[in-house]
Amino acid sequence: MSETRSSIVLSTKKLSKSFVFGEQRIEVLRGVDLELTEASSLSIRGDSGCGKTTLLNLLARLETADGGEIKWENLSLDASTRASKREIGVRANFLGVVYQAYYLIPELNVLENVLIGASLAGGNPLRSKERARFLLSKMGVEAKEAQVPQKLSGGERQRVAIARALINQPKVVLADEPTGNLDERTAEEVMELLLESCTEEKSSLLLVTHNGTFAKATDRQAFLQDGSLRQL
Amino acid sequence: MRFAWPLYLAWKQLFPSQKRISFFSLLSVIGVALGVNVMIVVIAFMQGFQQKFRTDIINSQGHARAVPLNPSPVWPQISKELLERDDVLGVTPYLQGQLLLQNRSYHSIPFSMGLDPEDADQVIPLNEYLINGQLMLEGYDSQDLTPFPTMDDLEDEVVFITRQVANRLGVRPATIIRLKDANATEQIKEGKGEVRVRRLDPFVPSGQWTVTFLDEKSYRIEESTSGFKKVGLLGEPPLDLGLGFPVFETLPGGKPFEKGDQVRFQSFRSSILEVYSPSMIEKAKADELAPPHEVRVGGIFEVPWQGFHSEALIGTMRFMDEMRGTEGQCDGFYLKFSDRLAQKESLLSEYCKDLEGDLGSDWLVIPWFVENAWFFELLKFEEYLMILIMIPIGLVAAFAIAIALMTSVMRKVREIGLLVAMGGSQTAVGAIFCLQGLIIGSLGAVFGCGLALLFIRYRDELMSFIVTGIAGEGGQDEVAQFYDFYSLQVDYPWDSPESLSTFLAFALFAMVVSTVAGLLPAWRAARMNPAEALRSE
Repeated sequence: MSETRSSIVLSTKKLSKSFVFGEQRIEVLRGVDLELTEASSLSIRGDSGCGKTTLLNLLARLETADGGEIKWENLSLDASTRASKREIGVRANFLGVVYQAYYLIPELNVLENVLIGASLAGGNPLRSKERARFLLSKMGVEAKEAQVPQKLSGGERQRVAIARALINQPKVVLADEPTGNLDERTAEEVMELLLESCTEEKSSLLLVTHNGTFAKATDRQAFLQDGSLRQL
Repeated sequence: MRFAWPLYLAWKQLFPSQKRISFFSLLSVIGVALGVNVMIVVIAFMQGFQQKFRTDIINSQGHARAVPLNPSPVWPQISKELLERDDVLGVTPYLQGQLLLQNRSYHSIPFSMGLDPEDADQVIPLNEYLINGQLMLEGYDSQDLTPFPTMDDLEDEVVFITRQVANRLGVRPATIIRLKDANATEQIKEGKGEVRVRRLDPFVPSGQWTVTFLDEKSYRIEESTSGFKKVGLLGEPPLDLGLGFPVFETLPGGKPFEKGDQVRFQSFRSSILEVYSPSMIEKAKADELAPPHEVRVGGIFEVPWQGFHSEALIGTMRFMDEMRGTEGQCDGFYLKFSDRLAQKESLLSEYCKDLEGDLGSDWLVIPWFVENAWFFELLKFEEYLMILIMIPIGLVAAFAIAIALMTSVMRKVREIGLLVAMGGSQTAVGAIFCLQGLIIGSLGAVFGCGLALLFIRYRDELMSFIVTGIAGEGGQDEVAQFYDFYSLQVDYPWDSPESLSTFLAFALFAMVVSTVAGLLPAWRAARMNPAEALRSE
């Protein structure tokens, strides 16, 4: 899976990860090579438990790999070590994350949930607020900015989560089955919004999904099987 | 900004949007506030007691005592010289000893002190103590009008005794009551004014006194047993017939007195005590005749400081000299200094040393805090003991906060993972929980200090409410007798550095303990594997 070198924003080389359960060792990733270019989208499909979420976690540097290398733009990272202070400092601006379960903070209202992403990146509060409102309006939930997440529908929550992921104009958005909890119609709307927003924001999207239709909507598609990533 | 978001999230978790305050925050803040309040109030009261004892001790014995190691024949000269010094406001000589008092078959051996009536009140507020000790006769058909005795009533044949001595011997000073009859009540009702007793010396005999108005301008005083009569004029100074006669004073009312208006009084003479001294025993051993010395009870006094002898007698210097079989002696001086010296113990101590040097090697000058050091050490010990007892209150609150925050960490596992995924460092995420402890501690400290201020401000009302609830209406006086909460001076933080430091120390204690309580949950959150946290159900 290789692309034009100049515009690569995220890549891995020989990324491997295994889990040990008692005496059994399960290799979920076996030397995965991946490249994601600027403002492009890539979907990864695979069976449940094949290591899709693990791959996203490794890319976000939330866990350590057994070996291999990750590159965030020009920043080479040793995947087998814990995230350094520098990486943590870069992460908030470089990555946006969207999860199946939304993970909105219940004590904050919609606007505050979006803004917390900007706060983590040390953004200017006034400009961030303006941008948060812009993104919320783009997601069609601007009227709900003062509501707490518990009062929103699943689709609305995921739209807020997308706005939060995009607040810092990240280079890459990692989306882990973002429509998994939604009904078909809402899922289509949300996916459309996600793809559209990433294109507009010039953020690359790495989408993990079980849904073939959504996968086809991305620029490139890959399949994770037996620990290897295969381009379709 | 990078460090502001953990604080922001900590605040929001305690005070979520669209909700004023979470139940956990409310309970935690109340817990800390109550703890801080109790700690401050108890220590403030302890300091109030210390302050009260300080004042009471200084009042009862001055700022220092100058004691000659050998009898000094030139003490009157020394007394004068001391008074001429800039910072010396009062000097009064004293004699001390032990006497045996007898009334019928009752005896008492009080601590006895001879003072100079002329200048004793420069150092010791005896007139106040005489007001404290006054016993009033209560009667359905009479009103006790006995004026408060003063140091002026102290003669060589008159003594003042404490209430305990008076109770033990069954004695009391001269007393006068106004008899309430129809005529007198009617006069007061009509607003014609009153007849009061301005002075009642210890030599006034028992008798019935009648003040009869002859017309609008004059009145007559009569005593029925002796047949004494004297006419006085209204508008002129009251008739003062010398020792042995009460001084009546007519107070005009809205209407003038009329001919035939009458006010009747009954006087009771003061008790007479028989006094024996050790010198009399020596005389008796030598087969000399030693009849007891008779003195009258001029007044009953009460010193507010419990450390003062509960059974005590005050007479004149000459009386004590006579009882000791000496002449012109002095056991030392009580000294009162200027505020400049009185307010700083170090200055006072230095001044006393200088004074000692000036008086010569035969004199000791002992400041009040040295003489009563044992007492203040005891109070300090009590204060430390209180603090030690109260620290667990703070720790209990801390444990409660730690448990609640730990539960919060368990509930927010996925949020912790998310925050790390979004770019938060694990340390910063952990800090959220530590900061929650700090916020709870800070708010608790502020509210606790506020509560303590309210408690101090309304302490009398609160105590009265509590005492009435426990002991009923009549319980107030009994409680006040032992626990003098009502006259206690409890400082606000802006009044004294001691009070300010108490407030600050306990506020800081609450903040530190609450923050420390948040450390364990914070450490747990910081150690959490974000990927596992995100996967958790």
